[in-house]
Amino acid sequence: MATGASGDIAVRAEGLGRRYGEGEAAIDALAEVSVDFPKGQFAAVMGPSGSGKSTLLHCLAGLDVPTSGQVIIDGTVLGRLSDRDLTVLRRTAIGFIFQSFNLLPMLTARENVELPLRIAGRTDAARVDQVLQEVGLTDRASHKPAELSGGQQQRVAIARALVSRPTVIFADEPTGNLDSASGHEILDLLRAAVDEDGRTVVMVTHDPRAATIADRVLMLSDGHVVMDRAGMSADEIYDAVRTLDSV
Amino acid sequence: MTKLILAGLRQRKLRAALTAISILLGVSMVTGTLVLTSQITRAFDQIFQSANQGVDVRVTPHTDFEGRLSAVPTLPQSIVGKIAAIDGVKRASPEIAALGSPVVRGEYVQSSGAPSFVFALEPDPFRATTLSAGRYPERSGEVAVNEGLAQQQNIGVGAHIGIATRNGVKPVVITGLVTFANIASIGGATITIAPLQDVQRWFNLEGRINSVAVAAEPGISADALARTLRADLPRTVDVSTGAQDAAKQAARTNDAIDKFLKPALLAFGVIALFVAAFIIFNTFSITVAQRLRELGLLRTIGASRRQVMWSVVGEALVIGLVAGLLGLAAGFGFAALLVWVFNELLPGGIPVAAAELTAGTAITALVVGVGVAVLAALIPAFRASRVPPIAALREGAEIPPSRISRYTPAIAAVLAVGGVAVIVLALTGGGDSTRRLLIMALGAFLVFAAIGSLSRYAVPFLARVIGWPLEHLPGESGTLARRNATRNPARTAATAAALMIGIGLVAFVAVFAQGLKASFNSALDSTLKGDLIVTGRQFGTIPAGTIGATARTPGVRAVVAAVTEQAKVRGDGTATVYGLDPASASRAVSFEWVQGSPAVLANLHGDQAVVEEQFAQGAHLSVGDAIHASTSTGRTSDFRVAGIYRDPDVFNQGFILATPTFEQSFTARDPIFLLATVDPGRDPVQVKDAVALSLKPYPAAQVRTNAEYRDEIGKRIDSILYLLYVLLAMSVVISLFGIVNTLVLSITERTREIGMLRAIGLTRSQLRRMVRYESVITSGIGGVIGIVLGVILAWVFSLGLADQGIVFSVPWLQLVVFLVVAFIAGVLAAVLPARRAARLDPLDALHHE
Repeated sequence: MATGASGDIAVRAEGLGRRYGEGEAAIDALAEVSVDFPKGQFAAVMGPSGSGKSTLLHCLAGLDVPTSGQVIIDGTVLGRLSDRDLTVLRRTAIGFIFQSFNLLPMLTARENVELPLRIAGRTDAARVDQVLQEVGLTDRASHKPAELSGGQQQRVAIARALVSRPTVIFADEPTGNLDSASGHEILDLLRAAVDEDGRTVVMVTHDPRAATIADRVLMLSDGHVVMDRAGMSADEIYDAVRTLDSV
Repeated sequence: MTKLILAGLRQRKLRAALTAISILLGVSMVTGTLVLTSQITRAFDQIFQSANQGVDVRVTPHTDFEGRLSAVPTLPQSIVGKIAAIDGVKRASPEIAALGSPVVRGEYVQSSGAPSFVFALEPDPFRATTLSAGRYPERSGEVAVNEGLAQQQNIGVGAHIGIATRNGVKPVVITGLVTFANIASIGGATITIAPLQDVQRWFNLEGRINSVAVAAEPGISADALARTLRADLPRTVDVSTGAQDAAKQAARTNDAIDKFLKPALLAFGVIALFVAAFIIFNTFSITVAQRLRELGLLRTIGASRRQVMWSVVGEALVIGLVAGLLGLAAGFGFAALLVWVFNELLPGGIPVAAAELTAGTAITALVVGVGVAVLAALIPAFRASRVPPIAALREGAEIPPSRISRYTPAIAAVLAVGGVAVIVLALTGGGDSTRRLLIMALGAFLVFAAIGSLSRYAVPFLARVIGWPLEHLPGESGTLARRNATRNPARTAATAAALMIGIGLVAFVAVFAQGLKASFNSALDSTLKGDLIVTGRQFGTIPAGTIGATARTPGVRAVVAAVTEQAKVRGDGTATVYGLDPASASRAVSFEWVQGSPAVLANLHGDQAVVEEQFAQGAHLSVGDAIHASTSTGRTSDFRVAGIYRDPDVFNQGFILATPTFEQSFTARDPIFLLATVDPGRDPVQVKDAVALSLKPYPAAQVRTNAEYRDEIGKRIDSILYLLYVLLAMSVVISLFGIVNTLVLSITERTREIGMLRAIGLTRSQLRRMVRYESVITSGIGGVIGIVLGVILAWVFSLGLADQGIVFSVPWLQLVVFLVVAFIAGVLAAVLPARRAARLDPLDALHHE
């Protein structure tokens, strides 16, 4: 379902709006957000609590349904998909990384990584080995999540997101539950996924230091994109956040 | 605290409801049993009360004991005149009750098991029946029949029918229709009322009667009249007031209900409650594990361990109370269901009075409901009380293991071994059979509880085996299901254990019944060489005339008639005494001889008796010993043991005498069955048809070939088996709720995982499949362990009962069916949980706390 010449656009939001509630009490978590994420870009989405950054991520990933506008991933309009097709799209085109890792406790690291492939009815041992090596967990592959540190668990989650070579990886506060050293490792891995594998990463974060690793920073406030800049330094981001918080 | 408990119940509505249903069903079985048995006993009370209407005093022959198969004792009719002449007697009337079915349009009506009574007409005030049409019979050849029969057969006053008597079918005409007392139903029983002389002639009772009904002169009490009659009449008669007699007769039937039907049905209720207890235990264990933070918080804000424990026990108490109340109501439904089942499965059905709610039943329901719920929740509640306050602050805190938990496997193993030992001891030991059964049941409970606890160690292996085909289906649902089933083996084991009990008992009775059939078949093959067997269509004897009729049929070589009566024997209680013709018996019967040889039976004469091995052992008899026997009328005789044979199935529980010897000491003349051999070279089926023709005058008798008889016995065992299946099905249904409950709780616990799985590409149908497979793995584990355990238990039982001829025979096909039932149960149990899981919104699920 191609819409125009968007071959180099991984994710596109067109006039995206998400309203919660009805009538007087209605709140617009997202209002008229239009944004493109080109392939091979690492974008950070920032903003204070309630700014709509998580809602944006959920709508882009097809987990939440926008009340207006539409999302196009790799040329496919999400709004026209059935639950089943949407699920299959998530399976093939989207990778997820969560703040709380969300690994299955009864599966080993390796089994967690190959889960998306198995769900799709595929096996690819070489690919699983490869992503495990990329995240540096080859020697811990047979451990259960409970036997791994937080950083290691999040690396498993990254491997799981990478394994099916998705168009875009959505990361929701991936460093939120980690110490800064582990957090750095995770960000480096995401950076490598973009630089070396050509993946697209959209990461929601509230940590300006984390955002500095991105190619582009979007700042949201009250459901609107208030800033969209590439190549920001840490200080610039800090300033921007401070400005927003003080408004 | 109370507020907290109620809030908790509201919050976990579904869980509370499912738990309550499991107890409710168990309670309903218990209260249903109480309601039903009281309905039956009251029906019999009413029947006997109205039968004794107008009877102030009843005079009956004196008997020393009640023989199951003994001929009904009689009095000379002349005693009626003597009694009528005694002071204070207003009226005395002879009474006779016999069994004889109506024959309508040439068809024997009473082919079911319900009795068909023939009563001699009595004058007022002794009439127990009320006329609803026509008039009572006045001359020979006239009868009144019960209205139910007339309706069922679509006949009325003026219809010509026959009555099957000891002397053939007698033609009669219906002059009236009667109803019996105010009973809602007398089951499938029929009543025929005929003039006294007719009944006497029909049943070879000329000049004899069963009893005398006596009415007192005005102003004389029944008690006073009974005392007068007692003083004036010889010791060979018993005198009782009408009320005493009604109570005695009712007590006789009600005793059987209280001693057999009630405990048997209650046993199934107890099994159901046992299953429910497993479910409650499991549900509360899971909830406590899920509420660690909440319970820890309670401790942090100052709740004592005791209060935390009470909060869990209190929840169980409320659930038990509600389940008890609803179970009481449902019990009436269960009683109605049982009446229906009995009417379907038992020929003739049962008489029942209106259902009645008594305080005792209500209290039982509440005590049982609350008791089971609270007892089963005690261990989880205790565990909850051990939650440390720090659990409130820490994710993934655990309850410190208690000191005994380390020994749980050892304790369970000891219990399992102990349970088997108890069963073996009870099987091989002596004593009252009811008590032995109770002890065996206790042993079985121990085994089930222990295996239920130990099975957690088998869960990973069994899940792998059962999950194997599922894991090899496309998609990841099978593997995820198997991993989910094994991540908490104790939980899966406890859930499966509930089903294991039901399926295990079903398998046990199936294997046991198969052994029973096999042993009976082998007895028919080895003992009865007869090609044909003639029996009554109903329980009881067949007319003696059938012996000659059968023997005279062309193609019949030899006939042996089994005439029996019961006797008291010094040393070992009641014996069944068989009178057989030695010459024909040796041709139609072949025993395995412990002492003696077939020649002993062929030449049996004089005071000689051949004794069945079991009975000989019980009475410590061997060849040459004397048997001192007394009949129910008090006559005593002595016999000498000439041989000992083995036959636990047919000529069992007593000894065999030659017919002349038997007739000297006993009054029974009508056989309970005949065995016939056919001439060599003749087709038994053809001879059977010829015998059936010869037996035309005796419609109460029925001839069958050996093969047909075997089928008939098989069917009879099957119909009892089906009744047991129906009763055990309740336990299986209850365990289904347990699986639903565990799945729902597990899904709640794994909400975030489900959200993640959906996010990374698990479709709704894959998710539903995952839940369904986990359910099937769980139910499969219960089914497999249950069937294995049931077969082992049946094997133990068959070993213990080997000397009674019970063999061990496995009905493989049925066991496969049970396993399929277990899998289907798993699929059914998953319907609701799978739907709930699939309905979860991935985003909400991901943010579930």
